Amino acid sequence: MIKALRLNAADNVATLLENASKGETVLVISEQNESLGELELLQAIPFGNKVALRPMKPEDQLIKGGVAVGKAIKPVPQGQLAHVQNIRSLNLDIPEVMINEIITQMEIEVD
Amino acid sequence: MQTFRGYQREDGSVGIRNLIMVIAADECAEGIARAISEKTPGTVVVTNYNTCMYGGNEEMIGTMINAATNPNIAGALVINMGCGSITPDLVAGPIRATGRPVETLTCIKESGTVSTIREGLKRIAKIVEHADATPMVNAPISKLLVGIKCGGSDTSSGIASNPSVGLAADKLIDMGASAVAGELLELLGCEHILKERAVTLEVSEKIDQLISDEEKRWHVEGTQVETMSVGNSIGGLTTIEEKSLGALAKTGSKPIQDILRINATKLEKPEAPGMYLSETTMLCGGSAMHFAALGCQVILWTTGGAGFNNPIVPVIRVSGNSQLINEDIDIDATGIMRGEDSLEKVSEQILKTLEGVINGEKTAIEDFGYAYCSLIQKDQRVERLLSIPAE
Repeated sequence: MIKALRLNAADNVATLLENASKGETVLVISEQNESLGELELLQAIPFGNKVALRPMKPEDQLIKGGVAVGKAIKPVPQGQLAHVQNIRSLNLDIPEVMINEIITQMEIEVD
Repeated sequence: MQTFRGYQREDGSVGIRNLIMVIAADECAEGIARAISEKTPGTVVVTNYNTCMYGGNEEMIGTMINAATNPNIAGALVINMGCGSITPDLVAGPIRATGRPVETLTCIKESGTVSTIREGLKRIAKIVEHADATPMVNAPISKLLVGIKCGGSDTSSGIASNPSVGLAADKLIDMGASAVAGELLELLGCEHILKERAVTLEVSEKIDQLISDEEKRWHVEGTQVETMSVGNSIGGLTTIEEKSLGALAKTGSKPIQDILRINATKLEKPEAPGMYLSETTMLCGGSAMHFAALGCQVILWTTGGAGFNNPIVPVIRVSGNSQLINEDIDIDATGIMRGEDSLEKVSEQILKTLEGVINGEKTAIEDFGYAYCSLIQKDQRVERLLSIPAE
């Protein structure tokens, strides 16, 4: 089973360690390689990208490595890709044209 | 690793390579500089691509001069066209003051391009002779300054390559060497962590000031300036803070001695051994020239699969991305991502490779291909408009 790494107990996302498809069930693991449970993906998530472990509301912070590194701009259900289509910086955003380019190149499903 | 075998320079520094810099002090001298360099092995061309005028270009010329006094450089040939205000002596003077042999040529005084190339080849032969006679010594590790940079970051950088480089940096500092990182924009959001590591309150305040200055330069309302590459985001990084958090890991955990300024009036260098931050740019080609100017003999560079290389300062490339790693990468940290290797093990591999490289072994792509020696500078007019102080 494909694994997703949760870096810190406070995190609400986990990082995919392989490319995973829509509907696939992944195993969430801790830094110490302990199993934390399974999760079904709502969309395809490539290697290195993040899956929401818990639902997020707009303005909720994205926590990775125990640190707030962004905020949601729309509801992010559990199992969805947490990335440029639904998360923004707390300080300095990527230009909108680049965000669209990233979404196109990654073929992200935007609802 | 208490010593390394290197080239003793007149100013007391010790190089791990024995190169000669051919400087095109203005853009018009570039072709002449290349023609001389192509016929002279062991030379590196550095060009001021911008203009032939000094006013407003002090920072770039400062980086050029300081790069020519890098420990890996034995001497320099400085060439200009002759109709601008950047005279060869302006560049050559401070290089000569370090005891290095320097020759200067002005094309319009040498009756033209072909004659300048002919004369340049004669002059550089004298510098080659001097370089060849440079004594080799066993230098204490305290003479080593290592640049630390990431490029082409993705999620694996923050989990595998950056933390293993950070651990290697900690061990180097314990041995008595020094290291310097930069890319202040990519430390945005990490100020509180860095300030706790500052050795004095003054350094702590300087960290805040310089990171905030850098944010002002990049964050100008209404402009569409890229602060992260599309590749960073496709690799899984969503925000600059997420990239910063990964980038921070490569600086290790040792106290921060200072944050070195690079601007039109100064280029600060480390004064005591330890870990440093600096205003080294996050832009790859220019960053290597900043590291060269700060006096780094070698660079540890974390990436996915990009073969970043610089002709003055050897680059040791580290990747933790199993999808991108290729023949250009010196250190394979992908085992960390698979849960098979530890940071400890990879940090030891980094130190072993570094030990080889500082004792003369070639990196994976040394002598093959290099990034351009870009000379980055801040526009003094923009600095003024953004109310960023020059001091």
